[in-house]
Amino acid sequence: MTFDRRFRRKAANTLFVGLCALATLLALSALGLIMWSLLKQGFGGINLNIFTRDTPAPGSIGGLRNAIVGSAMMCGVAMVIALIVGILAGTWLAEYGGDSAYGHVVRFLNDVLLSAPSILVGLFVYELVVRPFHGFSGLAGGVALALIAAPVVTRTTEDILRLQPNALREAGVALGAARWVTIRKIVWRGAGGGLLTGGLLAFARISGETAPLLFTALNNQFFALDLTKPTASLPAVIFQYALSAYDDWRGLAWAGALLIALTVLSINIIGRVIIARGNTRP
Amino acid sequence: MADIPLTAPRPTRAASKGAWFDPIFQFACLSAATLLLAALGGIIVSLAIGGWPALHKFGLGFFTDTTWNPVTEVYGAAGPIAGTLITSALALILALPIALGVSVFLVEFCPRRAAQPIAIAVELLAGIPSIVYGMWGLFVLAPWFALHVQLPLMMNIPAGSVWEKVFYGVPNGANIFTASLILAVMILPYMAAVFRELFLTVPAQVRESAYGIGCTPFEVVRSVTIPYVRSGMVGVIMLGLGRALGETMAVTFIIGNAHGLPQSLFDSGSTLASTIANEFTEATGEMHTAALTALGLVLFVITFSVLAVARALLLRQRQD
Amino acid sequence: MTKPVSTEFLPHILEPVGESVALRAKGLDFFYGKTQALFGVDLPIVRNQVTALIGPSGCGKSTLLRTFNRMYDLYPGQRATGTIDHEGENLLAVKDIAKLRSRIGMVFQKPTPFPMSIYDNVAFGVRLYESKSRKDMDEVVEKALRRAALWDEVKDKLQASGLSLSGGQQQRLCVARGIAVEPEILLLDEPASALDPISTAKLEQTIGELKSDFTIVIVTHNLGQAARISDNTGFMYLGRMVEFTPTSDMFMKPQAQQTQDYISGRFG
Repeated sequence: MTFDRRFRRKAANTLFVGLCALATLLALSALGLIMWSLLKQGFGGINLNIFTRDTPAPGSIGGLRNAIVGSAMMCGVAMVIALIVGILAGTWLAEYGGDSAYGHVVRFLNDVLLSAPSILVGLFVYELVVRPFHGFSGLAGGVALALIAAPVVTRTTEDILRLQPNALREAGVALGAARWVTIRKIVWRGAGGGLLTGGLLAFARISGETAPLLFTALNNQFFALDLTKPTASLPAVIFQYALSAYDDWRGLAWAGALLIALTVLSINIIGRVIIARGNTRP
Repeated sequence: MADIPLTAPRPTRAASKGAWFDPIFQFACLSAATLLLAALGGIIVSLAIGGWPALHKFGLGFFTDTTWNPVTEVYGAAGPIAGTLITSALALILALPIALGVSVFLVEFCPRRAAQPIAIAVELLAGIPSIVYGMWGLFVLAPWFALHVQLPLMMNIPAGSVWEKVFYGVPNGANIFTASLILAVMILPYMAAVFRELFLTVPAQVRESAYGIGCTPFEVVRSVTIPYVRSGMVGVIMLGLGRALGETMAVTFIIGNAHGLPQSLFDSGSTLASTIANEFTEATGEMHTAALTALGLVLFVITFSVLAVARALLLRQRQD
Repeated sequence: MTKPVSTEFLPHILEPVGESVALRAKGLDFFYGKTQALFGVDLPIVRNQVTALIGPSGCGKSTLLRTFNRMYDLYPGQRATGTIDHEGENLLAVKDIAKLRSRIGMVFQKPTPFPMSIYDNVAFGVRLYESKSRKDMDEVVEKALRRAALWDEVKDKLQASGLSLSGGQQQRLCVARGIAVEPEILLLDEPASALDPISTAKLEQTIGELKSDFTIVIVTHNLGQAARISDNTGFMYLGRMVEFTPTSDMFMKPQAQQTQDYISGRFG
């Protein structure tokens, strides 16, 4: 009897461990498979043309220069807005009103915004910017991306600032420093690495976003630096080309997807390294 | 004590530099926080205003009608709503056990030296943009699925059986099921990463005391770890669901983009997000735009409720 | 003092005679939200002397210290009533708190070097008020570090991070930072509690040298420390100032029963 029960418990445990290991194996191989096809299909398409030529007509040689530049510009606009709004909002939550009722509401809804469907942000910015100004523009795209990045920055800023010891704030204030000088010169400075990581994570998040750009920045076949006009972006070009019937366009889409994936991966890894460094500092 | 020297003269000072800026800075911070709220409010209001003409014209029928016809200007959202709910639910059913398995394996069984790199890999994969998953679905998964699953099934299912109805569909791999599969692959690393974080919050002493009375790892997970984080787990599941509900690009690539209710597991369909993504820029006429915006409103209401519940549950877990 | 007090509690406050008083608390009450932490505290702080505040944990000595530079202002819900007289002005009603704090410096329990170089740590407070030439600032920094007995240890690495110093050095850096702005009063909140005995001895020596220029109030858990470095001692118990006398009197012939019990180690 006892032997039987012990055996059953042991068997159940072995089965469970096996299933968990199997799940891990399955997940890793599925994700490995995706990375493998991405590398296989994308690497062939990456060459100098990608960075020097613009998106081509079907059948002619081209690259993704206009899309890369457009993406960089829109992400730049977005990050400027998102860093200002996000760091200030995160600072408010951590340093001023985070424990008030309003602070709880802001934190809660920011978390909701953090995972809200990005396509809805696109619709909102369409109504907010595109429709009133009668036209798709890179600026509208930047605003849409900023709305996606800002909650990420806000969240990480608050988390990081709350890790700063309170004694540091008191020490600054005890010298007669104004509250905002204490925050700027001591708290932000101490949290510098973490704030940078928050920005990087937000950047990684928006650099592959497609849905919010579809009805804001639209797309542009040509090279353009004017953000008041429709602007090309890597994700939008990938979307257009992947669904096309032309093999060379599809090749460009794979190359673009690989570029985005590599960018996002390396940004995330850099962010991690910064955090790890910060943790080992005394 | 007259020998104590007199106090040295102190510098006479004006007020600290920049003190006047304090209230302005605080106000700027508060404004930034309020701006985030305003953004969320703006999303609701703009969707409600933009979608109102369609909701007003079609009334409740908007939610129950399966016709979506830009030519005759008749719009019913039952197809995309059903598509969204079905794909998300299927994706969750597929991803949940595997995500749980991965996180439990990483926290309880995996040797630490391997657990850390695997955990990092899982987290990195959670950050890969959805358009990459979508391309893989379109170019790799769909053809493979058509050739190795759909066609053999079609050949081997006896005519007239129930299965024929369940697996009915054009054998091109672009259907409800493959869309769910892609969604599952997408939310898998995300959920596994958050589950792992959640399990790591269980205090070591609690688990160790269970091991101390002779529990097997399985019994510790089942009777201690999982009950300990129960409300947090539901929160994570809801987060995963919220992500699947609102996912756009990956699904748009592979769901087949057919209006109307999907008739079988392998039928093509559409979701709220994919319909908006496909048609919004080419919308013909005001009513088409309004109907698409109304789809957005429906999507917002669904995801907002799911996400709000998720965050509330996770918050409660953190406070416990 | 003719302030009415409850029957079970009779404070023994020995008024310093012929001394200049830098700060004087009168009927000071303090509240953390609804919880009262100080009850009618009366206390004179004598200029250019070291005043030690002692008492068991939670007696309110740190709370009292933090009212002297209005540190509690940072936290909504914390408030003080009564008066703290500072040169004829009620410190609790002062509007320009930043200026007040520049005249009443503070050093904390744990070392709090800012995330910047040693030099910038010391210069930080000065820069808040004055724009000095590089040369003048160098002088100010050197003088502050010398007075804090840290100069010889750091003069060759002023640009190194303040965080790179040892705990004892960090604490003396915080002292240097505090005195660089030339305050009149220096508040020390258990400054040696996180330090090893050797660093503690150095810090105590520094404090002894500083009192010729500054009025010092120190909160300490360590009775020996209070006896070694202070001129006057206030004993607090349950949020009340039980006894205030010259330090030698306090340890030789304590007046109140609670003081006797505490000093002889019967509680606390």
